[in-house]
Amino acid sequence: MSLKSMISQLPKVQKDFNIFTSYIKDAPITNRINDTPLSGKVGAIKDNIATKDFPTTCASNVLKTYNSPFDATVVELLKKDGAIIIGKTNLDEFGMGSLGLHTIFEPVRNPLNDNWCIGGSSSGSAAAVASRISDFALGTDTGGSVRLPSAYSAIYGFKPSYGRISRWGVVAFAQSLDTVGILANDIDTIKKVFQTLDKYDPRDPTSLNVELRDLLKENLLKVNTSDKIKIGIPKEFIQNELAPEIKQTFLKYIESLLKHNKYDVYPVSLPSIRDSLSIYYTLAPAEAASNLAKYDGIRYGTRDTKKPDIIDGDFYNTSRSNFGPEVKNRIILGNYNLCSEGYQNNFIKAQQLRVQMIDQFDKIFKFKNILTKNEPIYDIDFIISPTNLNLPPLIHQGSTISESNPLKEYMNDIFTIPMSLAGLPSISIPFVNSKPHGIQICTQYGNDEKLLEFVKDTM
Amino acid sequence: MLRAKTQLISHSLKGKWYSTVAKSAEYKLTCGLEIHTQLNTVNKLFSASTNNPFESISHPNLNTSYFDIALPGTQPILNYEAVLFALKLALSMKSNVNLNSQFDRKHYFYGDQPQGYQITQHYHPFSTGGYLTLSKEFDSIKDTEKKINIIQLQIEQDTARSLHVHQSPLNKTSGEDILIDFNRSNVPLIELVTEPDFHDTLQIKAFIKKYQNLVRQLKISTGDLEAGSIRIDVNVSVNEHPRVELKNLPNTSSIIAAIDYEYQRQMQVLKDGRIEEDAHVETRAWDGTKTTVLRSKESAMDYRYMADPELPLITLDNDVLEEVAKTLSKSADEYIKDLMSEPYHLSMKDAKILTIQNEFNDLYNNEELRQYYVDTFKSYTKDSTASSKIVISWILHELLGNLKKLDIPLKLLSDNLLPPNKLANLLTLIHTKVISNANAKQLLFHILDEFKTSRCVKLEEIDFMTLVKKYDLQTTNNIDYASLEEGCNKILSEIKKPTMIEDIKSGKKKNSIKYLVGLGMRKYQGKIEAQEIETMFKKILHIK
Repeated sequence: MSLKSMISQLPKVQKDFNIFTSYIKDAPITNRINDTPLSGKVGAIKDNIATKDFPTTCASNVLKTYNSPFDATVVELLKKDGAIIIGKTNLDEFGMGSLGLHTIFEPVRNPLNDNWCIGGSSSGSAAAVASRISDFALGTDTGGSVRLPSAYSAIYGFKPSYGRISRWGVVAFAQSLDTVGILANDIDTIKKVFQTLDKYDPRDPTSLNVELRDLLKENLLKVNTSDKIKIGIPKEFIQNELAPEIKQTFLKYIESLLKHNKYDVYPVSLPSIRDSLSIYYTLAPAEAASNLAKYDGIRYGTRDTKKPDIIDGDFYNTSRSNFGPEVKNRIILGNYNLCSEGYQNNFIKAQQLRVQMIDQFDKIFKFKNILTKNEPIYDIDFIISPTNLNLPPLIHQGSTISESNPLKEYMNDIFTIPMSLAGLPSISIPFVNSKPHGIQICTQYGNDEKLLEFVKDTM
Repeated sequence: MLRAKTQLISHSLKGKWYSTVAKSAEYKLTCGLEIHTQLNTVNKLFSASTNNPFESISHPNLNTSYFDIALPGTQPILNYEAVLFALKLALSMKSNVNLNSQFDRKHYFYGDQPQGYQITQHYHPFSTGGYLTLSKEFDSIKDTEKKINIIQLQIEQDTARSLHVHQSPLNKTSGEDILIDFNRSNVPLIELVTEPDFHDTLQIKAFIKKYQNLVRQLKISTGDLEAGSIRIDVNVSVNEHPRVELKNLPNTSSIIAAIDYEYQRQMQVLKDGRIEEDAHVETRAWDGTKTTVLRSKESAMDYRYMADPELPLITLDNDVLEEVAKTLSKSADEYIKDLMSEPYHLSMKDAKILTIQNEFNDLYNNEELRQYYVDTFKSYTKDSTASSKIVISWILHELLGNLKKLDIPLKLLSDNLLPPNKLANLLTLIHTKVISNANAKQLLFHILDEFKTSRCVKLEEIDFMTLVKKYDLQTTNNIDYASLEEGCNKILSEIKKPTMIEDIKSGKKKNSIKYLVGLGMRKYQGKIEAQEIETMFKKILHIK
């Protein structure tokens, strides 16, 4: 599809699926095919990533009027490598949600079936790719926000190792987990975009530094490629609630692997996986409550000037009441975990359990973790599981699910959260075309290239 | 408020910095200090903006990066210069540096707090323990020696500055507006907390002075209280009265006055037996005349401290500590002791001038001055066995006086015109009576004045002997006493007020003889030593 015809279709696609929060109206004049790596590729950016050319709203009333004076590093890198950014994509407010419903814009509709939720929080990014209006999209993944909507819309959704892609310009939800991810219809595009973005950024204090990047390259060369590849299935991921259709697809995928001589499949055990939801919902909302404290309406964003903003010595009640209900829930939960008793009893405990979980992953993988330097005990190359527990809920049911019991919505992230907590590279792949049955493959920290290679070999 | 201000000014004008309130032996004062010190690093703590909080008056919000105003998507990058400065301070006070300290977020909402939290160090501070020792000898306290123990040092961000204006460009109608200037936002601070070791205000005054000098000597802060580079909160408790935290203390005089007031107030509370109902920790503000409650513990905020999830630990190696320790010079007390003993034998007053930097000065710092003195001293005493008092008196009075008058930096003078050995030459010429003291002063001023006129560029090397000859300034070696007597008599005869001479003779106005000597010096163009002229006048007037 030419860029021009793609742009001409934007209004219709937007009407059908509510993909964008804003999008371009005309083709850029400087659109010439050249030898830059992403020349001619069209991309969409999740609207919690700062851009100079579009507003950055985070799908929140709080930032409805916000225009960033700078581009995020990832946006700079994409532009430099020749990609065309066609718009900013709809999301669950500040990245908080699993269904794509917690947005001040209309809910995103699933191109596989427009009555379905597409999942969240990178909802519009998944829809932009699934509707083929965009070659790729950037999302952010804190607990599964790239992988889950990719599974629901039957596309590829890759969350790299924490720290490999810069977060400068990514509006923080929970920094110790936030990772920029890539969504596309094929693994080669994922690879290409990753190569563009996989760079050290001195502006991001958590960006993986050059020495460690060099160490990774060295370690990769040491891996013996003639060995059989060992694939682990954690028994803690065996869930009775797993939808039968998804189970079928997952079993088919295992069968396809076993047909090759190259692969062996093993059961593995990572007991900490059982703690992952508790750890996540202790740490992530606490970080979120802290990060969202800056939205007081004084320097940017929404401020109610008609009503007083200091009531009984409490600041900004009026301006901050503009957050949506799910964000408010998490701010309350987060502050509860941060208040002095909660911090010692819950937060510190959760941090310890998180370290314990990382140690368990380190024992299982063959590749050594360059950050922890833990010695491996077993020699598993990849871990596989379904990405999603259920088929996408219907949009009109989705909102009742999340309102009646937010925990139900949180359950959607059960397979994806452990990898987020451990910072591991993981990808959701559409093993069966056009079916919302994601398969998640993950590997040791820093082993991103091998993961993408493996996916390419098995599809 | 205006009245309070006037009182404050008159208070400090009278020079009554120390407590004027009598302390009762029955009621024991206990104080601890919380000191915030702005570090004068080139850049801010977590951004590349220029660190210049004082630019605010003329250019509000000039030194602000995206991070300083907490734009969405921005991140902190630690400025290691601030870590180096903190390390110097910690090591100077023998504080135990934490090899893995951590940044935490302290949450509270306020207009001058753009992130909604301050990045500070709560759970694992930069260093713990340490002390500063005060002494009767150097710090004029009552005890011979008093150790003030430090609880901890932590690195943290400063807030923005709020300006309360009654009519701003934005609000022309009425009411108060609060303008916020983010130049100060994210400026590096060190918070130092002492143990409650102070028991009188002399100790507090001495500690503040000593601490100010320390940060100036280390060149890590301008150390000014009035400008807000150092801000001090005081915890005060009399006997069993619950601790009260005093805030809004802009200078030493208000600190002392507020403690005095609080001492009286708490003593009265104790005497009245009101302690039961009053028993909670309070924060009170000093308004210039009294302290008033800001908040009590019951309504105290929970700051919800959280380890910052993206800033790495400050990891230090023992080698780094050792290397930085090597760069630290002696303590001020040690310098003063050295200067007061062999071979310099300076008075404590002069030794302190060479050691303690009272304010940042464009022309010289105490280190340069001390070095200049020591070098001049060495050069002078090499050739002369005479009394060396002339060295300190010429440097402190003649040289510094002229530098200030002509606005010449000491370093420039030393490098381009008058290195220490040259000044020593001039002093030797005075000592050997080649040139009189008076003429030497004039000569010094003359060459400095020329130096200034020629924009302080490096000139030909000075040779004082040549100059003395050129300007014909040599003292007369073979004095013709008969002609000197004649000359002095002529001066006396020209005095129009005979009573003056009578007063000198009777001893009523003894010092007026200096006036006569001055006339003599002028007559002989300083070539005859003042002492000779004075002796002659005394001889003529029969004064012993």
